[in-house]
Amino acid sequence: MSEAVAIRTSGLGKRYSSQWALRDCTLEVPSGSVTALVGPNGAGKTTLLHMVIGLVEPTTGVVEVFGRSPRRDAKVVLPRLGFVAQDHPLHRNLTIAETLTYGRKLNPNWNQQVAASRIERLGLSTKQKVGQLSGGQQAQVALTLALAKQPQLLLLDEPVASLDPLARREFLNAVMEVVVDEGLTVVLSSHIVAELERVCDHLVTLAAGGIQLAGPIAEIVTSHRLLTGPRSDATSVARVHDVIRESHTERQTTLLVRANGHVYDSCWEQHEIDLEEIVLAYLGYQPGHGASTTMPLREAVQS
Amino acid sequence: MTWVSWRLQRTETLIAFGILALLAALLIPTGIQMANAYHQDGIAACLSINPSKPVLCGNELGDFQQRFQALTTLANWFTLIPGLIGVLLAAPFILDLENGTYRLAWTQSITRGRWLLGKLGLAVVAAVLAAGALTLLFTWWRTPNVHINGRLDTGNYDTTGTVVIGYTLFALALALALGAIWRRAAASLTVAFVGYFAARIFVDYWLRDQLVAPLKATYKGAQQPNFLYNAHVLSMDGTVNGHQFSTAGGGGFLGGHVQSAAPGISHAIFHVVYQPESHFWPLQLTETGLFAGIAAILLLFAAWWTKKRTA
Repeated sequence: MSEAVAIRTSGLGKRYSSQWALRDCTLEVPSGSVTALVGPNGAGKTTLLHMVIGLVEPTTGVVEVFGRSPRRDAKVVLPRLGFVAQDHPLHRNLTIAETLTYGRKLNPNWNQQVAASRIERLGLSTKQKVGQLSGGQQAQVALTLALAKQPQLLLLDEPVASLDPLARREFLNAVMEVVVDEGLTVVLSSHIVAELERVCDHLVTLAAGGIQLAGPIAEIVTSHRLLTGPRSDATSVARVHDVIRESHTERQTTLLVRANGHVYDSCWEQHEIDLEEIVLAYLGYQPGHGASTTMPLREAVQS
Repeated sequence: MTWVSWRLQRTETLIAFGILALLAALLIPTGIQMANAYHQDGIAACLSINPSKPVLCGNELGDFQQRFQALTTLANWFTLIPGLIGVLLAAPFILDLENGTYRLAWTQSITRGRWLLGKLGLAVVAAVLAAGALTLLFTWWRTPNVHINGRLDTGNYDTTGTVVIGYTLFALALALALGAIWRRAAASLTVAFVGYFAARIFVDYWLRDQLVAPLKATYKGAQQPNFLYNAHVLSMDGTVNGHQFSTAGGGGFLGGHVQSAAPGISHAIFHVVYQPESHFWPLQLTETGLFAGIAAILLLFAAWWTKKRTA
């Protein structure tokens, strides 16, 4: 069992009738990392997470969680996984106390104390019906259920998408607390980058059903530069570095590059670039103000 | 898993047993009344003198039947109750699929197989218990009626014996199978109930007499053979005074037909197709096996579909 790697996928793909939701996904998520899975809606984030937890059977390729198949070895893998689905489904007519009993009955490693103290800290009464809680509180109860399982890997599918800003902050803080305390591996998906940067140390971007970029965030941020210079061709730069995006105005050329080492050419002015802009470039978005031509060059998107 | 299944099925199970309790509140007092009347009106005494010839107890029966006519008519609808209880108990499973809470269950530490076994198993147990209670209640309530009309009278036949369990399981499994594919509780339950009704009509009016072959008898004049009185007559034809006459379906008494043909009766020849009293258990067991067998197939299909196709 390779415990250094929490999730390993290789050539993983899922096709729904004729449409590929995800294809050729090869990925390693190291144990102890907090990974942001970023991509636009429909990029295959949910499909990927569902294959990791075993809800969905892959069409092609392999997925392993702590070296095991989540589908075939469900008995071994499931107790080690915590999962909060996108709409954090809960039984609305159960009380919080009953919801915790539900978790206790279905999980061998259940820690009632963890669950009870989290509920208490949230200021909730165990007699309340889940259906009467706010969206943020329901998300917190769903997270409590996942955490009291005492998982080694926590998967959160768009955990904050449906929450208001305050509830978002509280939810992510709760996740961070456990990460710090327990050192567990976390993968959380989102289509918003900004708020994840604070929480995550690894990043995977998914677009059009494939992986665009994967790695430690620090490395990603330091290796990407924004080069500006007089209007020119990008070919000389592209010989050494990966040009992710180029845009030209009448007098000026701007390049976003993944630098392999230093950029020595003195005609380029170098700028640091923040994570959000890097991600947007990879996802083929046009960030901000009027770039005239924009082309994502890396790993041409298959249609 | 048992606690979980029970907690999520509690409401529906309580409603089902609430229906049973309401029914018992109606049937127990009227059943006692009927049993008393059966003895006090002298029907019991008359029938013991004229075994299996209720036609000879016309005076005693007239009062009794008039008195309980409304109730007997109402009782014809009770044959829908197994269907109602069956589809009702399918609701918790379909709601889990409709609300997406099955994902919550499948991402705890139990396998889909265990989850399916827990959910479907408990629904089946509740359905069998409810159907068992139903059949006991009806069997007791209908005792006087069975003495008068025989066990094969339609109303008596399909609310007593083992068929009630078969019907309930069929309705349950049909709703579960539809719900597994459709994942809409209200729609699945409605369509399953309609399907239950259609299947029952098909079996009542056609299939039942293919399950166990009915018998034939021919007799002359008014001398109806004794064995025909408690039988379920499917059709009868004959010639009286040169007039051809025939009746088909929904028999019961033969007496009425015979008496209406009274004047020329001694020259008449009757041909009767009937299910004798002795066919009660063969019919019951075959029909129960049929409904329970289809229910088992539907149940396995629901489990298989949910396990393989649902994500």
